[in-house]
Amino acid sequence: MTDEFEPRIVAFLCKWCSSAGSDLAGVSRMEYPSNVLPITVMCSGSVSPLYIFSAFNKGADGVLVSGCHPGDCHYLKGNYYARRRIALVKKLLEFIGLEPQRFQMSWVSAAEGKKYTQVIKDFVKEIKPLGPQTKLRRNQ
Amino acid sequence: MVKVEDIKKEAKRILKEGKVKYIIGYKKSTNGLMSVPAFIESPEDVENLIWDPTCVYNLTRFLVDEKRRKAREKNPDERPVGIVVKGCDSRAIIVLLQEKFINRENIYVLGISCETTGVLDEKKLLKKLNGKKAEKVEYDEKDNFIITTLDGKSKVPADEILAERCLECRANFPVINDILFGEKVDRKLDNRFKSLEKIESLSKEKRWGFWKEQLDKCIRCYACRSVCPMCYCDECVVDTINFAVTADTTAEEKAQRIKWVEKSPTTSENFVYHFVRAIHLAGRCIDCGECERVCPMDIPLRFLNKKMEKEAKELFDYDAGFDPDQPSLVSCFKDEDPEDFIR
Repeated sequence: MTDEFEPRIVAFLCKWCSSAGSDLAGVSRMEYPSNVLPITVMCSGSVSPLYIFSAFNKGADGVLVSGCHPGDCHYLKGNYYARRRIALVKKLLEFIGLEPQRFQMSWVSAAEGKKYTQVIKDFVKEIKPLGPQTKLRRNQ
Repeated sequence: MVKVEDIKKEAKRILKEGKVKYIIGYKKSTNGLMSVPAFIESPEDVENLIWDPTCVYNLTRFLVDEKRRKAREKNPDERPVGIVVKGCDSRAIIVLLQEKFINRENIYVLGISCETTGVLDEKKLLKKLNGKKAEKVEYDEKDNFIITTLDGKSKVPADEILAERCLECRANFPVINDILFGEKVDRKLDNRFKSLEKIESLSKEKRWGFWKEQLDKCIRCYACRSVCPMCYCDECVVDTINFAVTADTTAEEKAQRIKWVEKSPTTSENFVYHFVRAIHLAGRCIDCGECERVCPMDIPLRFLNKKMEKEAKELFDYDAGFDPDQPSLVSCFKDEDPEDFIR
C-alpha cells in the first residue's frame, strides 16, 4: 500500500442524464476511480452555487457538476441556466485563487457511461498533483 | 452645475401638492463633514436638503425598508415616495424595478447628474488633509473640489479624492428620473475595470494570498449586507433564524439542521459568505460601492462584485441597471453562451 493522496470529488449529477450515465458505467462494469461521491440532483440547473461552495467548505478536493447535453434537458432549459451560473461560479473561484482544475462541469448523457468514466479519470488525474484542497476547507 | 435651490424648489412643490408622502434626500450632519440621509415630510423642512460631494450614500436602500414598512401598515399611504438619486443609485432603482420589487408608480425620482465629477471618498480626504478638519467641500466649475478648512480654502483636483467607483463610473447620469437636475455629460473613461485588472494580473497564489488576507479580517458584522439595496431577501442563508429553538428542540434535531455557513468569522466561513454575496449580486450589483464604504475592516469588497460585473459583460454581454424590461442575468440564457469550459 502506498500513501498516495486520493482526492475526494463531489459530483452533482442530474437525475435524467448524468446519473443514468454513471449507472450505465456501473452496470456495464466499467472501471473508474472510486474517488467520486455522487449526489443525484433533479437537474444541473438546480445546483445552487451554495452547494458548490459548501462542498469545498466541507473538504471536497474537487467538485463536478454534470448535466444533460444542451437541448436534451428533461426540463428543456435547466442545463442552459446551469451553464451560465456555473461559468460565473468558475470565474469567481478562479478569481480568489482556487485552482481552476478543482471545479469542473461536464455534459454526460444517459448513454455515455464511457464518457463518464473518462471525465472522472481525467478529473482525478488532474487534481492528484494539486494535493488536498485546504484553502476553502473548514478546520475541524 | 446642479443648483441645490432647484432641487429645493421642486421638493417644496411636490410636497405642497401632496404628490409624495415624503422625500428621501441628503442633509447636513450635526457632526462632521459628511452628509446624512434626510427624510423630509413637510415643505418647511425642505430647506435642510443639500447637494454636495459628501452625498455619497445610496438612498435606494430606504425603498426596500419603505416597502416592508408599508406591508405592515393597516391603511398605508399609497402616495409615492420622493427619492434623490445619483446616476449609480438610479441603476439600483432600475434593478429593483426589473425584479418587480418596487413599482414605478410608488416612487418619484429626483435625478441628479454628477456631470463631470462624483462624490468624494472620506478616507482619501482625511489622508489628503493630514489630520486637518474639513468644514465644507464644494464642487468647482472645473474638475476640482474646493475644500474649506480652518486655514482657509484650498483647491484639490477631483481625481485625488473622488470615490473609487466614481473614477470608474460609466453612467453618471440618472437612467430613470421624473425630474432631472444637471446635464448629461459624457465622461472620458478608457477602462471601467482598471482597478480590478490590477488584481487579476496577479498570479494565482498571490491572488489567494490577497483574498485570504482581506477576508480573514472580516468580522461578519453584515454591514455590507445591511447597506446593500439588492440584499433584500427576507431571510439570509447565513443566519438560520427560520429554525426557532424552542424548549422542545432536541439536541439531535439541532444537529441535523442544515448549517450552510457557521457563524464564526474564520477563513473558510468568511469565504462562503462572501462567495454567496458575490454570486447573488452577479448581474445585479450596480457598483454603488456602499459595501466597501461601510466595511469597518476596509475589505475591498467592491472587487468581488466588480469581477462578476466584468464576467457578465464579457461572457454574456450583460449590463445591470439600464433596462428594467430585460430578464435578469441568471434567469435567461442564449444559445451561444460560452461552454468551452465544459467537458
